[in-house]
Amino acid sequence: MHAEKNNLKIVAGIDAGSTTTKALILDSTGKILSYHILNTGSAYWETVKECLSKALEASNLNWSNLNYVVATGYGRKLVNFANLELTEISCCAYGVAKVFPEVRMIIDIGGQDSKIIHVDRDGFVINFVLNDKCAAGTGRFLELIACSLGIPVEDLGKLAIRSTKIIEVSNVCAVFAESEVVSLRAAGADKADIVAGVCRAIARRIVGFVGQIGLKTPIVVCGGVAKNLGVIRALEEKLNTKVLVPREPQLMSALGAAIRGLEELGFLKVKVDATKLIL
Amino acid sequence: MNSKEYRLNRLETTKLVGKIFDKHWAELREAKQKGEKVAWCSGPTVFFPQSQGIKSHFMAGYSAYCAGRGAAEQVLEAAEAAGELSETCSYHRLHTGMVHAVLTGYRVKEEVILPIPDLFIIGRLCPEMSHYAEALFRRLGKKVKVVGVDLPPPRKVEDLEALGEFVENQIREVLIPAIEELTGKEFDYEALRGKWDLLKKIAEVRNKCWEFFKLKPTPWTLWDYGVGMGFLFYAIKPEGLEYWNKVYEELKERAKNNVPAILPDGEKYRLYWDNWIPWAFLGKTIRLLVKYGAVPIFGRYPYEFFPHPEYINLSKDPIKTWVDLFYVKAKQAAIMMPEFAYETIAKHVEEYRIDGIIFFSTRTCRMWNAGQREILNRIEREYGIPGVIIEADMVDSRFFNEAQIELRLQTLFEMIDARRKK
Repeated sequence: MHAEKNNLKIVAGIDAGSTTTKALILDSTGKILSYHILNTGSAYWETVKECLSKALEASNLNWSNLNYVVATGYGRKLVNFANLELTEISCCAYGVAKVFPEVRMIIDIGGQDSKIIHVDRDGFVINFVLNDKCAAGTGRFLELIACSLGIPVEDLGKLAIRSTKIIEVSNVCAVFAESEVVSLRAAGADKADIVAGVCRAIARRIVGFVGQIGLKTPIVVCGGVAKNLGVIRALEEKLNTKVLVPREPQLMSALGAAIRGLEELGFLKVKVDATKLIL
Repeated sequence: MNSKEYRLNRLETTKLVGKIFDKHWAELREAKQKGEKVAWCSGPTVFFPQSQGIKSHFMAGYSAYCAGRGAAEQVLEAAEAAGELSETCSYHRLHTGMVHAVLTGYRVKEEVILPIPDLFIIGRLCPEMSHYAEALFRRLGKKVKVVGVDLPPPRKVEDLEALGEFVENQIREVLIPAIEELTGKEFDYEALRGKWDLLKKIAEVRNKCWEFFKLKPTPWTLWDYGVGMGFLFYAIKPEGLEYWNKVYEELKERAKNNVPAILPDGEKYRLYWDNWIPWAFLGKTIRLLVKYGAVPIFGRYPYEFFPHPEYINLSKDPIKTWVDLFYVKAKQAAIMMPEFAYETIAKHVEEYRIDGIIFFSTRTCRMWNAGQREILNRIEREYGIPGVIIEADMVDSRFFNEAQIELRLQTLFEMIDARRKK
């Protein structure tokens, strides 16, 4: 580590999430060189290493080129080669604020939790809410529903927007919702209507969290679930406002971590070019 | 990675507490064995049977003791074996579990066994208390006399005077006659006055100790304070005064020599702890905090243990003194009222130079949680001090998730760091 390439400093942000692991490589000019996303699986440590290696390979770098590593996500404490570990709440806020400085609220719906973050223009967290009781309202909820309907999870969003008659689905518990979906199918309900109901159940839960700190706009939605158009539409309807969704919504925390890495190296005023993540 | 190693430097005096409270609870069992009367009490009613010489249990104090002795899980299991729902108040469940254990021989640690009472005094601070009383009455074959005293929380400070009168009437017309009937003698008002006298002395020493929380670095933690709180409520006894005098002496010594509660050189973050103390998880919680150099300094629940001894007027009717303490003058009953709670927390945040607030939100006691989110938002807005809500429980381990708690705590510390950078 700590070698240099073309006099540039190279930093990595690693977001070791509960469902996916993300690595993002950033140089000291603020250019995102590469990134990689892997399913976390059960071999967390191996996944982190593989994910970082793949991200480095994509920009013809290796581990020895890294000058600083910041780890975040639930597995952040396992990344023992990181120079710094920070929570995904701070990193997500930081990442989003650097690419969407006007944004004041972040809805980050990840694999196993949902976070609502009130952020200032410098990327500092003013206040936040995190789901507590269960995974209803998270990516895991959608995975369970997709499984019980026999549909790939990435197709749920497209299916939801074809719905003509949204069915109410409970959001009290992810596992109970799964059994509710089975009952609805047995009663002949259309898959698209059920999925739209599930998206609405997630949105309802999120709106409850938003209410706890008060709606702030503009809003960015990120995390894996932001890829689901059905959830995005349901959120916009419930919040009565349009939301911004980056093209790579899963990478905001890794980006924030990498930016913090640059700052730790003394690059405090770097303007990050995040075009490849947001457009 | 994040480097500095912090270590807790607990007050030596706190190590004396365990034996004293073991003895306190053993005395209840011994009294029963000797054929003496025993009472179980909830809410601030325990002073009355104790003044009449009845060995008396106090619901929250026993729950804290049971958890501190590592027996909560066993007793909660006993409650569920007896059909108790896991969503009810965990303190309530500890007691139904204990009744089940005593009646059926369900194995629990010997030192936490409670004798079956001759009288239940139910200070109804919340709706759950009615269920608690009824559940125990039914499980004990409808043989134990139950006396209820309604202690409704005020909605606004102006309610306190009328509420005080309302409760005072119940004490005089229902509680005192029940105690007299059980013991066959007139109520000992002088003994109650003597209890206030001793409480006043203990609370005055404790208040002097609180002053040390204002030091930076602090020489002690809220946990050091918490383990001796029983002496200010259900165990008002000469050993309590002796104990608090020793705490004061140790604090003076630490302050003189600049010895911090967190080694090597004191705390990085000074925290306010709102709500119940997590009795079954004191060690786990303090380790999590100390790892980051954080220390709980003060808190709303620990504060309510008679913060105003100046209102104890020994020349007054001792029942009026109770009313002054809980309602009219010291206003302790208002502490759960969101507006009063906000004012209390805001005052403490300034007095104790707090960096961040942990709002401990208990899964099975919602009464103390009322208004926490609004208070958090308002303190952040008006004082720029961040807060975090941690949802867990006082004693039930099923509601205590260390990874979830640590994520919230670490975020709080990062929020404090960010504010310091600005």
